[in-house]
This record gives sequence, structure tokens and C-alpha cells, in this order.
Amino acid sequence: MRVLVFALLALLSFASHSAEDKYEFANAERAATFKALTHELRCPKCQNQNIADSDAIVAKDLRDKVLVLVNEGKSKQEVIDYMIDRYGYFVHYQPPVTPATIILWVLPVLIVIIGFGFIVFRQKKASKKQQWNAQEEEKLAQLIKQYQRQEHNS
Amino acid sequence: MNKKLLGFIPFLIFIFLCVFLYQGLFGNPRELQTGRIGQAMPSFVLPDLMDESKQWRDSDLKGQVYLLNVWGTWCPTCIAELGYLTELREQGVRIIGLYYEQAYDPDFGDQFDINALRNEVQTMLERAGNPYQFNILDLDRTLALDLGVSGAPETFLVDANGKILLHHTGDINPRVWRAKFAPVMQELSQ
Amino acid sequence: MIPEIGYFSLVLAMGLSLLLCIFPLWGAYTGNLRLMRAAPSLAVGQCLFVLFSFAILIYVTLTDDFTVAYVAHHSSTTLPWYYKVTSTWGGHEGAILLWLVMQSSWTALVALMSNSLPWVLRARVLGVLGFLGVGFMLYTLWMSSPFERLLPYYPVEGRDLNPLLQDPGMIIHPPLLYMGYVGLSVSFAFAIAALLTGKLDNTWAKWSRPWTMVAWGFLTLGITIGSWWAYAELGWGGWWFWDPVENASLMPWLVATALLHSLAVTEKRGVFKSWTVLLAITAFSLCLLGTFIVRSGIIVSVHAFATDPDRGLYILSFLGVVVGGSLALYAMRVSEVYSEGRYKFASREVTLWANNIFLVVATLIVLLGTLLPMIHKELGLGTISIGVPFFNQMFSILIVPFAILLGIAPMMRWKQNKLSPAVKKWGVMLVLALALTTLWLLPNYEYVAPMTFVATALAVWITLGTLLDIYDKASAQGSMVEGLKRLGLSYWAMVLGHIGIAFVIASVTLTSAYSVERSVSMKPGETANLNEYTYRFEGVKEIRGPNYSGHAGVVTVLKEDKTVTSLYAEKRMYDIGMQFMTEAAIDDGFFRDLYLALGEQLSGGAWSLRIYHKPYVRWMWLGGILISLAGFMVVADKRYRRRKLKGEMA
Repeated sequence: MRVLVFALLALLSFASHSAEDKYEFANAERAATFKALTHELRCPKCQNQNIADSDAIVAKDLRDKVLVLVNEGKSKQEVIDYMIDRYGYFVHYQPPVTPATIILWVLPVLIVIIGFGFIVFRQKKASKKQQWNAQEEEKLAQLIKQYQRQEHNS
Repeated sequence: MNKKLLGFIPFLIFIFLCVFLYQGLFGNPRELQTGRIGQAMPSFVLPDLMDESKQWRDSDLKGQVYLLNVWGTWCPTCIAELGYLTELREQGVRIIGLYYEQAYDPDFGDQFDINALRNEVQTMLERAGNPYQFNILDLDRTLALDLGVSGAPETFLVDANGKILLHHTGDINPRVWRAKFAPVMQELSQ
Repeated sequence: MIPEIGYFSLVLAMGLSLLLCIFPLWGAYTGNLRLMRAAPSLAVGQCLFVLFSFAILIYVTLTDDFTVAYVAHHSSTTLPWYYKVTSTWGGHEGAILLWLVMQSSWTALVALMSNSLPWVLRARVLGVLGFLGVGFMLYTLWMSSPFERLLPYYPVEGRDLNPLLQDPGMIIHPPLLYMGYVGLSVSFAFAIAALLTGKLDNTWAKWSRPWTMVAWGFLTLGITIGSWWAYAELGWGGWWFWDPVENASLMPWLVATALLHSLAVTEKRGVFKSWTVLLAITAFSLCLLGTFIVRSGIIVSVHAFATDPDRGLYILSFLGVVVGGSLALYAMRVSEVYSEGRYKFASREVTLWANNIFLVVATLIVLLGTLLPMIHKELGLGTISIGVPFFNQMFSILIVPFAILLGIAPMMRWKQNKLSPAVKKWGVMLVLALALTTLWLLPNYEYVAPMTFVATALAVWITLGTLLDIYDKASAQGSMVEGLKRLGLSYWAMVLGHIGIAFVIASVTLTSAYSVERSVSMKPGETANLNEYTYRFEGVKEIRGPNYSGHAGVVTVLKEDKTVTSLYAEKRMYDIGMQFMTEAAIDDGFFRDLYLALGEQLSGGAWSLRIYHKPYVRWMWLGGILISLAGFMVVADKRYRRRKLKGEMA
């Protein structure tokens, strides 16, 4: 009997020595999803903060909701869609891909192509010039010889 | 010739940008809209603020055009708009209040005193005017989240079928009413 | 009386600045040497009056003169003296005055150090700087004066400086940043002067370079300190948020980096002239655009200053005149610029051109990401947000070709480079980089994501490339030691700068991939483990500072049962303003930071705590410091030292 009581006490004392995690998850993947979501969702009321860092009450409500959804097994995209349904695209820090926003990805690629195209174009021009010059050199040398002969003869 | 034209591109891009920058000075970057525009009022079951035995459902609200006004006694702007909202009520606009208690934290639920809140609301409405047909208490802010509410005051214009037509963040005053709500209200009455 | 003297001093400064703008430019236009010669003294004069005005603002703050509105709003008697001085730039009006201090000082410095510059060019440079000075002074005197009074009813106590700003970071971050922004205006002035004169020659490039490098060095340091400050101060362990205000400082930096490299090409090879000029104009334009974004209210940010559409309108108009005017001038004069130079595709010229493209694309990404939400909304398409996920995604793609090129660029020769021996070298580098990265990461981390591996390998690649190049160049002729000695300071600066970037890439990659955190609630005596460390919560004690009170959570950190350190994570409440502030406790180390923040008090004597383990996070600021050092080192190079012979360039 005393052994039992002692064992129970020992167990309890072990339990009280270690900290309690604020958020508990069934597996590491869900923990990672939760963390990613709280950093990608925007606090609707704040001055540019994600819901992880914000102290606003709406941010807390969103965090709690994300926790519930993640623990239900919802995927990251499902949670994001859930939030966008209610708060609009504003609430997600990654913009939607629409004809208006496609410029975000298209323009940089375009500039890289134009930039490299430009240098290749200049290269071609520069090398063409040299060829031309080489031909010209010959012509010029011939003309000089001709002129010198004329000079000598006259 | 070619180079000359190319040379003007940076200038033109800049002018184009300036147009938007200028417009930006007069906009409000913090204005938000719910994602629920054009959709039906989400389903809910919530108690009346003054009488917890009375439960309100989304189906109860259908049948008439109404404004759903999100407010709280802690919010000075909400108090300020009560006067004008009461005027609107007298003009026949149906206004239902959604009480948003921002201090209520489910983790500390046992510290919340419903009776104190009711007294506070009663006093406030007697003093500043009562525009509400009734008030729905959204203690856990579940309906607020479903509607995309981030604070108070916010107002939704809902038609008789329960479709959300407008969402306004900020107080309702004559200017806002004329610019935003009146046109839609007129359309609805036709 | 005294604040009025401060205001009047600024009026005098503006008068001199106006003359500085008109006389030399008119003199250069008409060839009037006397008018041009007036420039340096006018420059020094306006600087002295601005400094005097600033000194007065500091004086009224230190003496707690609350009849001055600015002092009443941003200071208090409870502030320690060093934060009182800091509060002079803690608010909008004072920050603009600080900008003016920098602007007028740089102008004076240019005036004093340009004796060997031809008068026409010198007058025009100073004239442009004078014009910029007038713009800011007019703004200050008309709409943004820090000397406004609160008479006759003034408060007996000020509102105190925002607690977030009561930190060493606030003392150095804004001044450094402004030194950078304003320094780029010198580069801008040189570009405009060269365009006006119609001579984009070696003189201009040679003169622009050292000023650009110093400005860039300061800007790098300013951004680095800003990142470190956010990390240490905000309590969440983050070091970059892609916030619009941060982006406003990054964009000029990216363009200035492109400018540096382009200037090097122009100075040494005489090519890319029109492009370099455009970059010089763009860099400073982005500084002005940044100022506009931050102070006009068009974006939402915690850092944004309190706004006023009138002020925004002024800044926009100024921006329009300066940038619009300079781009129009560029458009008109660029066709007259002729670059004669031949280079093959495999050459340093092309590699540096590629560097420029990537940097410009990076700037474009940041610009689009920052402004598109506003444009999208104005077009009536609704509100969207563009933040961390977007920028991180784009930059992680862009960094790959950029870093690959960085590793091999110093090895490329000017004009042309035989590829086959070089390719052999690169092959060896590649194998080494992959091997070293594998050795580094695989034994220490359970899971290495492909992107993490690639990015770390890129950092190693850059380092290897740099070291290999040192070896090549030093052993080119004769002994290594002799070779090393012969490599100039600007070469070592490049080495430092590139290694700095490698450090930043490695740090950002590894700390993003492997930082871990735990949010726990702990009672005194309880422990929590994170990685190899154990954190024992000893309890909370009350604290009292000069202008705050609060609690400090005491935590002992143990590793394998041996005490590593004691951490004091504070939660302060400032007396005036009643604001809460978290002061995180950090145990900094070369290879990792241990970061602890105190949360709220919970029931039963427990407190919530956040514990973070952040590997390699210090490396990014170390890298930043190395990069800024590189900028300063270049100007110490022999070729920029003043020639003893006078009259070198009349």
C-alpha cells in the first residue's frame, strides 16, 4: 500500500516538473502546418502583422480557429480557403494568381529574358562590326598601295 | 533614334507610377471587406443579449431587409454612431445588433459577468439612443469570425432572402449612408 | 526664444541653399567662373546653419522644454539623457531634420573634398545637392517644423518616447540609414552633373565610385542594424518581415549594389555608361520613393509615421520634380552617350551585366510586391496582401543563378575569358561545395530539405570561389606572400563583401530551416527541453527601471546538467503611456542564439514563456558588417588617396 502511494506521489511530482506546451498536436506534421499557417495568415486589424505575432483579439480568435481546423486534419490549403471565404484575400500573405496579379511572376521573368537578350544582341552587333573592320582594313591597305604606286609613278 | 525612344521608357514608367501614388494619398489602405459579399448569412444559433432563453437563428432574420450592426459598449465609435442609427430606425430601417465583447476570452470564461454587461448595455442605449430591434450576443465571436468581422463598429446590409449585400467597417454617419447604403436601399425598395 | 532661433537658423540655411542651387548652376551654364566659385562656401555655410538648428533641437529636448510641441510629444523628464537625444529623431519632424543634417553635411563634405574636380562639374554637383537641400528645407519650414510651440498652455510632462524606440538600436539605426540614403544623393548629383555637362567620361566614374561606396557601406550597416534591432527588440525572434518600410530601405540597397558593380565596369572599361547613369538616378529615386511610402500613409505598417495628406502631397511633388526631371534629362541626353568597347560573351563585363540584371529583377520584385496591393485596390479589384511567402518564394528562386555567378565572377577576366580551363576549375569547386555541404548538414540535421541543401551549398560555393580566386591571383607571379601583398585594398574589399554575402545566405537558409520554438506555460521549478538545452523556470521577480516597472522571468539554462547561463526575460510597463513591452532574453553565440520571451501570467502561479533555438542567426549580421566594411575599405585604396601633385586636373 505504501509502495503504491509512494509510486503515485513520485509520478505526480514528475508530472509537475515539466512544462506544459501551449499547443498540442497529434503529430509533427500538424505542428508544422499550424506554425506555417499562423505565419502566413494576416491579422485583419493590425498594422501589417501575421496572426502568430499579434496580440489583437481577432488574431487570437483566428489562431484558435486554425488550431481547431488543423486538429481536425484539414490541410494547409483548406484552412487558408476557409479564412479567405470569410476575410477575403487580404487575410493571406500570398496573393491569389489572377490576371491582375500575374504580373508579379511574369514581369521578373520577362526582365531576365530582356536583359540577357540585350547583352546577346550587343554581342552580335559588336562582333559584326569587327568583321566589317577586318574587311575594311584589307580594302584600305589595297587603296593605300594603289595610291602609293600612283604617287611613285606620277 | 532607337536609343532615344528607349531612353524615355524609365520616364514614362515613373509618370505612370506617380498616378497611382497620387491616388493612394486619398485612399484608406486599412479598409477591409468581408469575403462573404453576395453570399448568404452564415447559419448560427446564438442567444439574445438580454434573455438567454431566447435563441436566434439565421432563418429568424429572413423576410425583411435589415442592417446587422456589430458593436460593443467598450467601443467609443460605436457609441458615437448610436444617435444616427436611432434616427435611421425612426425612418423605418430595421437594425439588429450583434454584440461583440472583445474582452471575453474563453480561457478565462468564468470571470465574465453577463448581468453587469446587460446593465451596461441598457444604460448606454437609454442614454445614447436605441436603434436595435434586438441584440444577439456573440460571446465566443463565432458568427463574427464567420462573417469576417475584425472589430467594431462594422455593419452588414442583408436583403430579405438573407443575402449579404454590403459590408462597412467604421461608423455609419450621414455621409457614409448617402454614399454607400442609400443607393442599395433604394434599389431594394423597388 | 531659443526654438525660434532654431527655426530661423533653418531659414538662413535654406537661403544659402537656394543660392547654392542657383548661382553655380547658372554659372556653369554661362561659363561664369565667379558664380561657380561661390559654391563651396555656400555649401559649408548652409551646413553650419543646419547643424546649429539641430543642436538647438537637442538643447531644448535635454532641457525638457515642453513648450516645444515636438519635445512634448516625443520626450519626457523620465527619459535617460541618451534617449532624449535619440528622441530628437524619434518622430517625423525631428527625423526630417536629421535627414537635413545628413544632407547638408554630405554637401559640405563634397564641397571640401572636390578641389581637384573641374569647376563646371564641381559647380553642377553642388548645385544639384543644393536643390535637394532646398526641397527638404522648404518642407521642414513650411509643413514639418520641429520647433512649433504649445503656448500658452503647455504640459508639465511629455508623452515619452515610444518604448519600442527606447533601445540602443534607435540610437544608431536611423542615422546610419540616413547617411546611406543621403550619400546616394551624391552619386545622383554626379550623374546629373555629368548629364548636364554632356561628359560621361572616366572622370565622372572615378569620382562617383568612392562616394557611392561609402554611402552604400552606411546603407548596408543601417539595414543590418535594423534587422538585428527588430530581432532583439520585438520579442518574436524574427529578423526580416518584408514590411513596406523595410522594403523601402532594401530597394535602394539592391540598386546601389548594382550601381557599384556597374561603376566598376564603366571606370575600368568605359562601357555600360548610360546604364550606370540610369542606376545612379534610380538608386536615389528609390530613396525618395521610400521616404514617400513611409510618410504618406499609402501603406500599412507598424513603422509608418503619422500621416497627413498635405505632407504626402508635398513629398510626392518633390519626388515628381526630382525623379521626373532627372529621368527626362536622361531621356534627352542618353542618345549622346557612346560606349566603345568590345567584349566577348565569356567575360567579366557580361558576368557583371548578369549581376546587374538579377539585382534589378530583385528590386522589381520588391517594388511590385510593395506597391501592387495599393494599385490593385485603386483599380477597384479588391484588397490583396503580399508578404513573406511571396517574397521568400521569389528570392529563393532568384538567389540560385545569382549565387552561382557570384562564385565564378571574380575569376572572369575583362574582355574575354578562355572557358575550358575555367570550366575545369568550376567542376572542382562544384564537387567540393557539394561535399562540404554534405559534411556540414547531414550529420547534424535529421532532415535536410532540397532547397536548404542547395542554398547552403551556394554559400559554400561562393566562399570557395572567392578563396580560389585569391590563390590564383596571389600565385600568378612568383611567391604567394608577395602576391598577397600586391593585391590592393579594393580587391580585399571585394573578397570581404562576397564572403559577407555567403554568410548572409548561409544564415538565412539555416536559421529559417532549423529554428525551433516552444510555447509553454511553466510554474517555478518546472523545466522544458528544446534541442540539447534544458530551461528551468526559477520564477518571476518585480523590476523597476528609470521610466518603467514590470516583471522579469528568471530562467536557468542547462546543457547536460551543467549551467550554461541565466536568462532574464522582461515584461515592462512604461510609466507614461502605460504601454507593455517585451524584452526578450538572448544568449548569443557564434553558432546559435537561445532566445526567451516572457508571456502572460496564467492561473496557479504559472507564466507563459516562448523559447527559441536559432542556429547561425548571428551570421547574417556578421555578414552585413563584413559587407559594409567592404564598402568602406575600397575608399582607403591607394588610388583614391589625394595626389601630392597639385593641378592634376584643372
